[in-house]
Amino acid sequence: MSQEHGKDWMGAPLPRKEDRRLLTGKGKYVSDIVIPGALHAVFVRSEYAHAKILSIDTMEAEELEGVERIYVGEQIKHTIKSMPQPIVQPNLPAHYPTFWPLAVDKVTFHGEPVALVIARNKYIAEDAAELVFIDYEELEPVLDPEEALKPDATIIHEKDGTNEIFSMTFTGGDTEESQAENATEVEQIFQNAPVVIKERFKTHRTGITPMEPRAILCDWDDSDGLLAYITTQRPHIDRLALSDILDISAEKVQVIAPRDQGGGFGIKAPFYRENIIIAYAARDLEQPVRWVESRYESLMNVGQERDQINDMEIAADLEGNLLALRNFGLADNGVGTVGVYWGFVMPFLGAIELPNGYKWPKADIRLKVATTNKACLTPSRAFGHFPTRFAIERCIDMVAHKIGMEPSELRRKNLVADLPYTSITNEYYDSGDFVKVWDTLLEKADLTNFRLEQKKALSENKYVGIGFGCGVELSGVASELFVPMENQPGFGAATVRLDPRGKVQVFGGDAPGGQGHETTTAQVVASEFGISPEDVIITTGNTGSTPFGSGSVGARMGSYFISAVAEACRQLKTKITKILAHDLQLEASVEHFEFKNGEVIYLGDDSQRSSFLSIVERIIMFPINMPEGETGGLDVTSFFEAAKPMICFNADCCVVEVSLDTGDFKILKWITAEDVGNVINPLIVNGQMHGAIIQGISNTVFEEFVYDEQGQQLTADFEHYKMATAADVPNININYATTPCPHTPLGTRGIGEGRPSSVPGALTNAVCDALRPLGIEITTLPLRPDAIWQKIQEASH
Amino acid sequence: MAKIAIRINGKLFQEDIPERMLLVDFIRESANLTGTHIGCTYEGVCGACTVHLDNEAVKSCMLLAAQADGHDITTVEGLAQGGELTALQEAFKSEHGLQCGFCTAGILMNMTDFLKQHPNPSEQEIREGLIGNLCRCTGYVHIVNAVLKVVQENQLKKA
Repeated sequence: MSQEHGKDWMGAPLPRKEDRRLLTGKGKYVSDIVIPGALHAVFVRSEYAHAKILSIDTMEAEELEGVERIYVGEQIKHTIKSMPQPIVQPNLPAHYPTFWPLAVDKVTFHGEPVALVIARNKYIAEDAAELVFIDYEELEPVLDPEEALKPDATIIHEKDGTNEIFSMTFTGGDTEESQAENATEVEQIFQNAPVVIKERFKTHRTGITPMEPRAILCDWDDSDGLLAYITTQRPHIDRLALSDILDISAEKVQVIAPRDQGGGFGIKAPFYRENIIIAYAARDLEQPVRWVESRYESLMNVGQERDQINDMEIAADLEGNLLALRNFGLADNGVGTVGVYWGFVMPFLGAIELPNGYKWPKADIRLKVATTNKACLTPSRAFGHFPTRFAIERCIDMVAHKIGMEPSELRRKNLVADLPYTSITNEYYDSGDFVKVWDTLLEKADLTNFRLEQKKALSENKYVGIGFGCGVELSGVASELFVPMENQPGFGAATVRLDPRGKVQVFGGDAPGGQGHETTTAQVVASEFGISPEDVIITTGNTGSTPFGSGSVGARMGSYFISAVAEACRQLKTKITKILAHDLQLEASVEHFEFKNGEVIYLGDDSQRSSFLSIVERIIMFPINMPEGETGGLDVTSFFEAAKPMICFNADCCVVEVSLDTGDFKILKWITAEDVGNVINPLIVNGQMHGAIIQGISNTVFEEFVYDEQGQQLTADFEHYKMATAADVPNININYATTPCPHTPLGTRGIGEGRPSSVPGALTNAVCDALRPLGIEITTLPLRPDAIWQKIQEASH
Repeated sequence: MAKIAIRINGKLFQEDIPERMLLVDFIRESANLTGTHIGCTYEGVCGACTVHLDNEAVKSCMLLAAQADGHDITTVEGLAQGGELTALQEAFKSEHGLQCGFCTAGILMNMTDFLKQHPNPSEQEIREGLIGNLCRCTGYVHIVNAVLKVVQENQLKKA
């Protein structure tokens, strides 16, 4: 291959380094790791949404042969610190609930851990769990967020005296007076505006359930402390949290997120109560303890997000200029007992990201978040803003229809055209060209031709429609946002270590779950040093060997981590060339050398060169005759932090055909345009986009967590929680309209995290466009044939 | 307890096992072949545990180990021979048909069997052939491309 050692690795569709082991069944996920003698843990979970625990009888279970120990809340509340602890508590004022790993006194949602059975194998543990008898006294469940905030509502966490866990006004400054003044000004715009749309948008409870459920395997040793293998996106945060909560000195806690994890998508980013008690049990019993979550438990406890009501109003003029935005959001938080996010952090960010890529001269944006007796919201890709983006993209279409303008034209007219830009909610958009992305999408969509075809189709009684949407998404999370939001730093950190054989080891503290970090990192390192990606190996997720990182969250890879890798490589190159110049007796520094084809070449005279291997070996193994003040060794840890937050931008267009007889619809086409900055590996970036968009479609159409009127969760298996199969979804046509990010060393952007957010709006807009002759507007998700059929019936009669 | 003998990837495993032991647990825990995964609550929906029983794709969470007594099982570890990946495995690599890899074993086992029965499927037929396997990462696009690639290679070979 001509590019074997060249710089062409950047942008190359290199097959992944990860693939061989995963294709041959040699991947090692947490549940594949064996520690001899490990005990198995099974949780006994609440059967009620809200009930007092009167008694727990574990006697019969304890007598079962092979049962080692059964824990209940009443015991462990004296030996384990309660949550919250500062390491997993945001710097946001909220009513943080107090809780322990196992329910104490009462249960607050269907599926809450009440007791933990530890036994010699999982079959015995499951049998014993069935012999744990719990007496409950049912309490009234609080299930509706609007009811939850009424003065006479049953209070779930009594100490707070309210079910309002969080509320905030995002516009009009920091004081109540300035916010009130802003609200008055916004109201005046609405009173005088020629066009006003006012709607209530509801999004259902859904999220991005990964294929691998949670798991943890803990071992304890009195001198070495705790070793915990965890399915986690944040091993370093888990380490600090376990240390703080279990009072284990931090140097004695090692967390390993294996390099193979079966997807995360946000679900593996919180700090979970289950992990506390498994680690505690390993220490208490001085034996390894393993817990592998069942799918049933997983669907009962995690992956639930998006549950919001947004009362939205848009004011516009007759030329299609957006004048003002008003949104009162209400999120159903669930019970709130999950570390780091507590449920409300998602709707918090969802409100910040609500304005999207559009210019809003004025806005009044507020949010209330209500505690209910449901599983706590946990993060899912398109963190918090899947609901708000659905609302705003739908609402913009309604404005366009009211004034008789193409929705795509109205969008283009109001896109932020000059970046950098600070949004009305103070979100910083660092760079990019939204209009270029939009025009790329429009060119591919061929709208003029589509409208002709649509007209023709209608004359044949076929209802086809086109829908658009866009998304400004975070490219990593700057400390400026991360510290207040999650009490954690945003920097990316990487150690790059050269060895005397000219090979490269990279260490990163984040913990990927299938995004191809090994390959992408190897491409960047190979490109920097002019070597082959084969010569690069990366270690992630092990707190014993990697620099601190806040985790694989918020598209930090292409923004923060890879930038730290590039900077570490460049620092090493500076050192290598300094010593090489000294050896060659040249007055030269790094910019006078090229790293290419396994050689370091002096640009002034290309006969002056060294093989990469020999100069590296010389610096590490033979550090004599060095330049003054220089030492041997080639090992650098670099920290990358952009001065301001960074973004990426994407846009979707889809075409659907709706059946008037059944309300069913088929997606005929899905076209995108993406500004992902410079692309390192197009195969991987395409894969990220495909996955995110199909997740968005699946969330919009198929998936829904359902609770009945008693708070019983009815959708805890894949028969009832329906995820899209290959036969349910379309092919995706990805197009690029990139602008290199000026704030990263490689011009790359972090991508993929927010990507599903533009999907529900674009898809629902297409369905409504198809049904335009009937004047149907859909404001509630999920987007299902039965609901559409109902709307068709109402419109036709 | 039941005494069983199951040949997995050509190797005979003879064990005394509890009658209720699932085949997937036997494969993962007794034979230590952890490439076969568990992604749902033993309801046969996710397909991550798909293996071949006498050359036919089955979901190993839906069978007791005792039911496989005297039969041949092939798992994902048994696909590549002599270190050489199958055409389907190669295509998954070149087309980026996997991300986290958790569902991949089941998809490979299902599609290996599927292609034997449907040597020249359309894209839609491949998509329908995949309904017993859930994938969360890829959106199925590259998976379908990988299977199509093998189909095209096979057609070229024939021609």
